[in-house]
Amino acid sequence: MRFHQFILKNVFQRKARSALTMLGVGIAVMAVVALVGIADGFERSFRELYERRGVDLLVVRAGSSEHLSSSVPQQVGKQIRELPGVRAVSPGLMDVVSFEQANLTSVLLQGWTADSFLFDNLTILDGRRLRADDDAGVMLGTILARNLGKHAGESLEIANGRFEIVGIYESFNPLENGSAVMLISSLQSLMDRPNQVTGFQVVLDDVPDKKASIERVRTAINALHSPQGRPWGIAATPTRDYVRGTSQIRMAEAMAWMTSIIALIIGIVGVLNTMIMSVFERTREIGILRAIGWRKSRVVRLILYESLLLSIVGAVAGIASAVLLTYALTWWPMVNGLIRGDVAPSVMIQGFFIALAVGLLGGAYPAYRGAHLLPTEALRHE
Amino acid sequence: MNDTPLLRAERLGKVYPDGQVNALVEVTLSIRRGEYVALMGASGSGKSTLLNLLGALDRPTSGEVYFDNRPLSQIDDPDGFRSKKIGFVFQSFFLLPTLTALENVQIPMFEGSLTVRQRAAKAAELLDLVGMKDRAGHRPGQLSVGQRQRVAVARALANDPILLLADEPTGNLDSHSAAAVLDLFDHLHRDKGMTIVLVTHGQEVAERAERTVRLRDGRICADETRIAKAARQAAATS
Repeated sequence: MRFHQFILKNVFQRKARSALTMLGVGIAVMAVVALVGIADGFERSFRELYERRGVDLLVVRAGSSEHLSSSVPQQVGKQIRELPGVRAVSPGLMDVVSFEQANLTSVLLQGWTADSFLFDNLTILDGRRLRADDDAGVMLGTILARNLGKHAGESLEIANGRFEIVGIYESFNPLENGSAVMLISSLQSLMDRPNQVTGFQVVLDDVPDKKASIERVRTAINALHSPQGRPWGIAATPTRDYVRGTSQIRMAEAMAWMTSIIALIIGIVGVLNTMIMSVFERTREIGILRAIGWRKSRVVRLILYESLLLSIVGAVAGIASAVLLTYALTWWPMVNGLIRGDVAPSVMIQGFFIALAVGLLGGAYPAYRGAHLLPTEALRHE
Repeated sequence: MNDTPLLRAERLGKVYPDGQVNALVEVTLSIRRGEYVALMGASGSGKSTLLNLLGALDRPTSGEVYFDNRPLSQIDDPDGFRSKKIGFVFQSFFLLPTLTALENVQIPMFEGSLTVRQRAAKAAELLDLVGMKDRAGHRPGQLSVGQRQRVAVARALANDPILLLADEPTGNLDSHSAAAVLDLFDHLHRDKGMTIVLVTHGQEVAERAERTVRLRDGRICADETRIAKAARQAAATS
């Protein structure tokens, strides 16, 4: 018999308790992986929006922690375009609207110029692309169109304005598939923000030392002034930093981790309870093992390995459930334009190691207690 | 048997933590290598306490136990020492219920250096020695009490100890099973030269040993070899 077979027998001997502990750990890990996975997926989606298009810098109002409310004069774009090293600039205006009748409360509405390079990555599935004269036109992402039950050629009311759906597109990105795009001038008029944009997406020339180029252009953008000589008060940020600093993402991550920590504490208490009860029930057995010569370290290993085994099985079940749950959520109209259906492997690995930590922390005290039982007292235990 | 003491207890005292009971008082005792000794006494006389101290399961409040002239209090790894040198047999067998007889016998071997295959082979040999080879795959619940005690003896022998300590090994057995276990002890003592110390209430059990040490109120009140006893009895009757 091998040592691990002995451990397996101990775990299988107490089937109901082991199953309940694994369930507890599984639920905790599922909560962690699903919540952190969704927050991480949100960040990845957001980052992908820019990185897949080769966007190097994002320019928004300096000091604006809420990027959606950033407001920059559209004319700044012309100055940015003229900077050396800049290949393309696309102004963008973003807002969030709701479609109460379809129970959709946070739909991203984007305003682009008709010639924006951002259209290049959209595949038109129905209808056509927006043209410069489509003042009352809008394009819907596939997910949004499905949720609204709309097709090209139909009309749609957005924020008390009536628009014609000129096309349905598919993007590489789920966030974009859950959003709508109209001309920036139309959105400015709809939201009463004339000549204002949320920010600019800036693509730089391909040069060998891209990092230095980004830094150089960034400094130049931050130093731009109005024709009156006043600084614009704008900040150019590399894509990754911009996404990471977005308040919605930071809040989603914080919420995910806070909820996860509560779930983890519950998991640790569950394992601790099971293992301490197990040690208590097996006091005499541990006494026998100590009496026949098992060292304290082996008793510690016995209890910790049992606790780890429960946690690992719980983790595998929890991770699998989280993956299924996250995928299932993409079919829920309320959120299916916001979350990705996949969970990043790094988040799964994180969940697995967290489960190991749960097993170790939950098993540590019972292991210590078990190892320090005096054989003579343990053997007298009824 | 040779005259070298394997175990030597010097002025052993044991007071349990509540401070109320002097379980042992100034007990001095020497046990030779290969000797078969019975510790007798009424309940509470201190015989199990003495056995636990001799087997390094507990520490004395005063005095010292020497094993091969080495004080037990100075052994760095008492668990490892116990594992290698001492085998224990308990009144209630203390077999692990989820394991088969063969697996139970292997449990002490985890602390040794044998491979999985060697452990299984050795456990099978030991079960053969105690006449339990054909019950190797049975769990304790599927064995009679006498069979369980024989498995427990096999487990006690797992790491080739030089000392076997048995606490009321026949206390839960019927007379037939008890005789079988004591025969086994005789065999281990006579044919393998094993040093055996057993605690018992029963005179018949004690008579199997070559020396009987009697305790009363934590003190040794009599210590007599079988030969000395026979000579004394012969002198008394003549």
